[in-house]
Amino acid sequence: MSEIFIHSASAFIGTANEDINQLKKELIRYTPDNFRRVNRFILLTLLGARQCVHEQYLDPYTAVYLTTEHGNLGETAQVLDEIYLAHALPKPFGFINTMSNTAAFYLAQNLGIRGRNITVSSQHLSFERGMELVRTDFADGAEKSALIGGVDEASLPQEFTEEQIGHGWRRIDGSGWLYIKAEKDGAVGTIKAIMSFQDSASCLMWIRERAPVDVVSFGALIDDYEAAKLRKALLPAAEFDYLSEYGYSGSSTACGVSLFIRLFQGKILLHINKDWRGHYAVIEVERY
Amino acid sequence: MNGRKTYMTGKAMICSLGDSLKEIVDAVRSKRIRLAQLSFDLAGLPYTKPYYLIQRNEGDKLANRSEQYFYDILYSTVSSAIADAGLNGAEIRDMDVFFGSTSMDIPVFEGNHHRMMSTVSGMFLQSSYGYGKIAVAIMDRFGIGGSCYSFATACTSSANALLYASAMIESRRTKRALVVGYDLFSNLGFYGFEALKSIAAEEYRPFDKNRDGLILGEACGAIVLEGGPRKSGDFVHLGGANLCDTFSVTSHDVEGSIVAETMNRALKQARLGTGDICAVKAHATGTESNDSTETAAMRRVFGNGIPPVTCVKPFVGHTAGACGVIEQILFTESVKGGFIPSTPGFREVDEQLNLQPVAENMEAGVGNFMLNYFGFGGNCTTLIISNKASMG
Repeated sequence: MSEIFIHSASAFIGTANEDINQLKKELIRYTPDNFRRVNRFILLTLLGARQCVHEQYLDPYTAVYLTTEHGNLGETAQVLDEIYLAHALPKPFGFINTMSNTAAFYLAQNLGIRGRNITVSSQHLSFERGMELVRTDFADGAEKSALIGGVDEASLPQEFTEEQIGHGWRRIDGSGWLYIKAEKDGAVGTIKAIMSFQDSASCLMWIRERAPVDVVSFGALIDDYEAAKLRKALLPAAEFDYLSEYGYSGSSTACGVSLFIRLFQGKILLHINKDWRGHYAVIEVERY
Repeated sequence: MNGRKTYMTGKAMICSLGDSLKEIVDAVRSKRIRLAQLSFDLAGLPYTKPYYLIQRNEGDKLANRSEQYFYDILYSTVSSAIADAGLNGAEIRDMDVFFGSTSMDIPVFEGNHHRMMSTVSGMFLQSSYGYGKIAVAIMDRFGIGGSCYSFATACTSSANALLYASAMIESRRTKRALVVGYDLFSNLGFYGFEALKSIAAEEYRPFDKNRDGLILGEACGAIVLEGGPRKSGDFVHLGGANLCDTFSVTSHDVEGSIVAETMNRALKQARLGTGDICAVKAHATGTESNDSTETAAMRRVFGNGIPPVTCVKPFVGHTAGACGVIEQILFTESVKGGFIPSTPGFREVDEQLNLQPVAENMEAGVGNFMLNYFGFGGNCTTLIISNKASMG
């Protein structure tokens, strides 16, 4: 695989249903720009990504890959209420912001970059699939630097998240980001592998060749039984249980990988995730 | 030698013109258009606006629609595209899905709410399984075993799905791809564009002096892309590009510099020069700003030698995130039928633009073509396709 180097990483972990003005105040730490017609999803995107590239020089053609499970839930619900409950036309900017790629737009505008701008989703594997797009573009030479992040609001009701995911994890607003380049100079880590498997047997076969690993972490749908089996195969020196420590959002993987970069110097992480269909995705990350 | 080579081996679509490609191309050839008038009852507004509605039978009526209808349209289109490509069971399993839409499954929540004791927003918040749900439903239904990617980049969604499907086949990350563009009628979209004052009063007239906006349409389209041709005449994806114009969230810079750069990058990737392009399928929303920007950009790229420009939205409407797939099928099937489509509704040149799109069907042969797509959030996507390679 063509090399992808991580130059910085950051995760913004927000309390569910935090006052939007609080998020705006937090954002002032990273940019003097005033954001008027923006919503929670956009602010989370800006917060996570600005934190990630704070005081870094960005090439004007830096690409943005925004991955998300649910996109802009809150404002979409508001606009539906304007139409169906208030019996009115929606507010223009409210309607425009139901399109979740506006978050990636405001980020690019704020950073002064005009590269590729993609918003992509894939049930429970959104960040991993986004990384696959990045890998294609880097291998192609189409992109040389990019921001890739996973952003999701905690707007879904707790009982719904429990029904889908279980485990009793705290629901959070999550925004995890990596600033990546094809260039190694100044990097703090690297993406060593992005793998996809259609079943657990082929995934297990591949990861057995990786054992023993420094650190392992699991995505939301890996249950306790399966995690035990994977631990046995991998013999990890440590486990990073970011879901228990930091909470769950649709973009937990992005937050988990970003937090690993900040917390585990000199280690290699194997992050193992799966979707409802039993497809597996593994990201191997080295922190220098 | 050109850059990428990914072949369009299967295709199907359902739109306001029908659900058979022959019927649709015949309608385009003879400039037949089917426009409905829809009201804004929920907002109590005393007028109607045009919309390109699917109107094949009773089941298509808005009042009769349900979740079942949403998935029937989707599965029927995908099934036809797979049949058109002639894929066998093993080939279907060995495929990735690239899905693009603006409204995603909002029409399902809107359609269901009358039958459920919940508000639309309540259903949306409690039942949303995310943007990826529809692609997964396609995979489950057809036994597709690969990965799925759902693009949400507003009106460029399925164009970007095509861009990536093509790139991943070319880089041998995937053998074949099913690319779906789907946007069904939603009040969210219809009322939203009305709130923006973007909907034309009566007629779609891109690039015309008296253009007054866009007219939305609903459609589902599916394309099978593979690394080799199956039939003589299969179109080839040669390359493409995507950039972000940060001028404004609603419109692109009227000077057209980023839009032009996107076109130039796509040409470069396809290893073609401007002189190699036989015709341009413009995005042509018919809004004042889009058409000005797009014309300025084409002039930057092609100078005074802009190739023939066609606009296919007047036939099926602006199908939002689905337009990448829908307009590619309309364009390629028309070319296969021997013509580059006219632009119905265009009557008078706008002196400010000084651009005359193809007014009558133009004879089409073998060549390279540029397809342009733009969207909210500054998204710009250009695809370059050709029918040269597979015609020998």
